[in-house]
Amino acid sequence: MAKKKNKQVLRPWCWYCEREFEDEKVLMQHQKAKHFKCNLCPRRLNTAGGLAVHIQQVHKLEPENLPRIENALPGRDGYEVEIFGMEGIPAPDIADYKRRKEIELGLNPGTISQPQNKRPKLDNRALTEEELRAQLEAHKALMGASEGAAAPATPEVASGAVFGAPAQTYALPTAPAPGMVPPPSASPMGMHPGAPPFPHGALPPPGFPGAPPFPPPGMSFPPGMFPPPGFPMPPPPFAGSPPPGMPLPGMPPGAPPPGIPPFPPGVRPPFPPPPFLPPGVSPPPGFSSPNGMIPPGMPPLPMRTTVSTSPPPPGVPGTPAPPPAASPVHQVPASAPASAASPSVAKTPPQLTLPDPTIAQTNPPFKKDTSLKWSDPNFSPEEHRAIHPKYWIANTSEKKGDGQSAASATTAPEESRGKKRARAEDFL
Amino acid sequence: MSFFGAASSSTTANTAAAADKDIEVADPPTDSISSLSFSSQADYLAVASWDNNVRIYEVGQNGQTQGKAMYAHQGPVLSVCWNKDGTKILSGGADNAGRMFDITTGQSTQVAQHDAPIKCVRWIESPQGGVLVTGSWDKTLKYWDLRTPNPVSTVQLPERCYTLDVVYPLMVVGTAERHIQIFNLSNPTTAFKTMASPLKWQTRVVSCFPAADGFAVGSVEGRVAIQYVDDKNSSNNFSFKCHRRDQSPTQKDQSLVYAVNDISFHPVHGTFSTCGADGTINYWDKDARTRLKSFDPAPGPIATTCFNRTGTIFAYAVSYDWSKGHSGMTPSHPNKVMLHACKDEEVKRKPAKTR
Repeated sequence: MAKKKNKQVLRPWCWYCEREFEDEKVLMQHQKAKHFKCNLCPRRLNTAGGLAVHIQQVHKLEPENLPRIENALPGRDGYEVEIFGMEGIPAPDIADYKRRKEIELGLNPGTISQPQNKRPKLDNRALTEEELRAQLEAHKALMGASEGAAAPATPEVASGAVFGAPAQTYALPTAPAPGMVPPPSASPMGMHPGAPPFPHGALPPPGFPGAPPFPPPGMSFPPGMFPPPGFPMPPPPFAGSPPPGMPLPGMPPGAPPPGIPPFPPGVRPPFPPPPFLPPGVSPPPGFSSPNGMIPPGMPPLPMRTTVSTSPPPPGVPGTPAPPPAASPVHQVPASAPASAASPSVAKTPPQLTLPDPTIAQTNPPFKKDTSLKWSDPNFSPEEHRAIHPKYWIANTSEKKGDGQSAASATTAPEESRGKKRARAEDFL
Repeated sequence: MSFFGAASSSTTANTAAAADKDIEVADPPTDSISSLSFSSQADYLAVASWDNNVRIYEVGQNGQTQGKAMYAHQGPVLSVCWNKDGTKILSGGADNAGRMFDITTGQSTQVAQHDAPIKCVRWIESPQGGVLVTGSWDKTLKYWDLRTPNPVSTVQLPERCYTLDVVYPLMVVGTAERHIQIFNLSNPTTAFKTMASPLKWQTRVVSCFPAADGFAVGSVEGRVAIQYVDDKNSSNNFSFKCHRRDQSPTQKDQSLVYAVNDISFHPVHGTFSTCGADGTINYWDKDARTRLKSFDPAPGPIATTCFNRTGTIFAYAVSYDWSKGHSGMTPSHPNKVMLHACKDEEVKRKPAKTR
């Protein structure tokens, strides 16, 4: 504190022109440029003496013909005083300067002249009430009456403005971490230490002699065939048309649908001629696609029979997500994939709707003018793209994006009629 | 809609614009590219596309490519990955299905199913064996062992899965509404940690450090955050701006802000690339916090990137990313996969200056 004041009051100053400077370096630069510059050549010298010698020796001027120091105050334009920054200023001039400064700043005589660069001794004990009062009085007296009024109000005002609205924008619904995702497999069965790793006769992979049983003991999720309690038999995803090799859950294990190999041909294949694996072998150019395009036995366009797997709960954080309600899906006739022609083929792509509009995100404001190229805070480019008519797939998209429509589009038409109607009206 | 049928032929002409020395993959997909993945065993590149197909290319010594196989989904393919031994390709798409392609047989089979499009697939190679994880817009993660039609386990996510990445035992999932869930795959059914993204804008991509001690997050607001999992390293967390442009050459305001579309870590050096809708790619060193290289801007957004297993080849897709909606998809929009031969000095950490 004291130091700062000292600096403020006694900044370096130039003896020649009594200008003040931030620090002595700048002062020296100033002196070189303004006062010690030779006006016969571009040379700049460091001191008046240096300049004199330079002019005499380089420009061959007699000492008595030397030009006066430039830009100097009257009486200070001579070479007699050797000034280098703040060094060399005659003591009377320093005293005089200080005195004038004191008057200028309205300080008591002598305040500057005293050595002030030492910190005033402070004892850190708590001040007594008397002392505080005395200090306050002294302060008031010093600052004058006008200060009293203005002082107290300001801080509040400032903080109000700072902590205002913008801060709220950043608040977002945070994900409630614990308790929201019921670990489906944290079931007694999955955790059971003694549980055999593959605890079922169901579907012992026939083509799999060497395959390691998938979750060995210690791995916490149970084998897929046995969904843990509390996670009742995930609705078979491919209700309408099971891909080849996917035994329907409703079927007796080990009895695959006729005409389909017991196991996905790819799992541990009997190694037919590999199309391209050995890097050395160069197969014909182009894609050997045909066999990959539509797997044999796969209906060309399996209409998923709009199976209602009850949608994942619309993201209400904090509520334990119920497992997809096992709607009786399994009995969808596996043999009639095409017959279950989905009614949704002709539907238009759904709008992207948030499951819960109240938790819609908003982009926080930008500090400066900015054009954000992707400005939808709630949906990704891919989501928008996927509902574009070019990419939208009728039988899947009704489950996409919004949780509610998943149910609505499928087996529960009554539930969703209101919504459907609304959309249809839009259309008409 | 033969938008890209025409495009593929026209773009072959202007390859010089973006990358004079980078090599274009022959026979690119006919529609935008959504995902790239190199095999962990050989230089085979799987390319997923919005034209419903996954294509597999062999990349030769000098970067020449040859289409090897192709298989189809019933909808656009959004993500593709390889299993550990490089014999299978796993992909997920907007047909809500996950498919597995066996390159030894050339057969593809459905191995996963969701109620909404599968945005992300990743292979998890754990000591107990390999598992497929799929993340979907139906707000679930599912683990599949590929032998059974039902998932091994299902994890409910707080929101739609936008991105996930795995470096065993770390898995990080980025969802809508800026949730980020961190999983320790020794307990894959519950999130080890759930947090809000360190970035204030929509999460676009997450990518795990090769050391599995943290991850990078990219947002639509041209920014990447480096985040360590362990709180004691939190002092090393930081974020930086990238993929921005000036409004005009005279104004240095960087006010055009593009999305960070992908982040790929170099498998050897641990440096990483970011790519954006502005068509640029940068290599970064997160520890020195420096940029190692910036590519010349490509004529279109870079949708996705991938290093090969040794980090010598860097593949990137110049492809429309829907950042301008449907109107941005013009027939002449470039759509190609480029291969960049990585030089060591581009991707290697520079030694700290000793002074």
